[in-house]
Amino acid sequence: MPFEEDPAYLSKSRLKSDLVAHNVALPPAASKKEIYVELHLKHIDQRNAADFSSDEEDLVPDVADREEDPDHTEIPDPRTLTDDELKAALLHHGVKAGPIVGTTRAVYEKKLKKLLQPDESGKVNGAEKAVVYSDSEEEEEEEVEEEEQKADGEEEVEESVCTESEKQTAEQTDLAKQESSQAKLPYQNGSFPYLQCFMPSSRLHARPTSNRESKSKWNSRNAVKSSERSRSRCKEIPVGISRASSVDQHSGLGSGPPQEPMKDIIKEIFPETGTTPTGIHATRRRPIKGAAQRPVQYGYPATPVSPATLERREMERRRVPIRIQILVFLIMACILYFIYVNLEDICVVLLDSLNQGFDSEDGYSLQAETEDTQVVSGQD
Amino acid sequence: MSSTSQKHKDFVAEPMGEKTVMALAGIGEVLGKRLEEKGFDKAYVVLGQFLVLKKDEELFRDWLKDTCGANVKQQGDCYGCLKEWCDAFL
Repeated sequence: MPFEEDPAYLSKSRLKSDLVAHNVALPPAASKKEIYVELHLKHIDQRNAADFSSDEEDLVPDVADREEDPDHTEIPDPRTLTDDELKAALLHHGVKAGPIVGTTRAVYEKKLKKLLQPDESGKVNGAEKAVVYSDSEEEEEEEVEEEEQKADGEEEVEESVCTESEKQTAEQTDLAKQESSQAKLPYQNGSFPYLQCFMPSSRLHARPTSNRESKSKWNSRNAVKSSERSRSRCKEIPVGISRASSVDQHSGLGSGPPQEPMKDIIKEIFPETGTTPTGIHATRRRPIKGAAQRPVQYGYPATPVSPATLERREMERRRVPIRIQILVFLIMACILYFIYVNLEDICVVLLDSLNQGFDSEDGYSLQAETEDTQVVSGQD
Repeated sequence: MSSTSQKHKDFVAEPMGEKTVMALAGIGEVLGKRLEEKGFDKAYVVLGQFLVLKKDEELFRDWLKDTCGANVKQQGDCYGCLKEWCDAFL
């Protein structure tokens, strides 16, 4: 209304419409104009007076407030957002979301809800997890997993929470970790000392893979502490071995489950070793030949020789050398040649000797034979 | 080295093929049935979900908790099992 209108000058229907426009309850239909005027004056004119000067200014903040309210009071239910809007909202909070599919949508909605309630949930989670940590110290099985979750939980906390709560949780987990590490030592120190060195170092390797996003002070602190712990444990090993048997008896029950995987590994690597009470296996080293009071009594082979060469050497030993074989062959050849050339003379000599031997008895037959041979040789 | 169960070792030793959901570490009969009801009847379907969540631990754990009500330890076992399988075969 550009100018004030005296309600008295307005018609009854006009007054009625005005009242309706301002959400004022209408009086009964058959009431007089005066009642309408009164109501009009009461409600509408008051409002007009208050808003008159600042009509346009009020509009803008009202609209702005209405737009901002949802964010503060989490009204834009992540469910009402489209996939793209949900993804954009998550990105706005620093979370790079994967594909928002039917099965993943619920998870991402939950995540967005969590991110939209940053301060309260951060502190509450920190307190809850602190409580969880103190309870879980007694349970040995969950220690490793709890510690891993602590670090993961702290990553989440770090991302979204202010520094004060960070420090608090960091201190709490530091204490918890130290206590749990001390609790672990007596169980594991005695029976499997050499594997202690591997445990923290493998966890060191696991750390970088899970801390892909937040490589902050906490990680370096963690790495330094765990490396220190591993060094201290490795130094304690020689001491621990001497106390092995007594510790083992006390901690036999408690150390059961975590020790099983280590036992399996040893058995895999060394399948033939028997079990000893202390769990330590040592193999005798081969004695040094000729060293202190260990004279060379046994015929150790000078050089390592394969079985094939050994066999070949044996064979060559028993075989007649080639030169000698050739020599014998030549000798035989000469003899045969000699016989072939001098066949006649040899026959004569042989027969003469035979004749002398059998002079008296078989003179004719021999002579006949000599005649035959002479005839034969003559024909040749 | 964190302790890994025999189930974990068996699963990670070879390609999963047509193994059921119960073959996953941390998933027993009860949880396996719940997953099957939701449509995740084979291990490779859960693997698919794991990959769609970009192998993110937190998201996968949340999803597992919402879908079949796995507790913290079971979530961790299943996540570790799938992660190692992916490192070996994917």
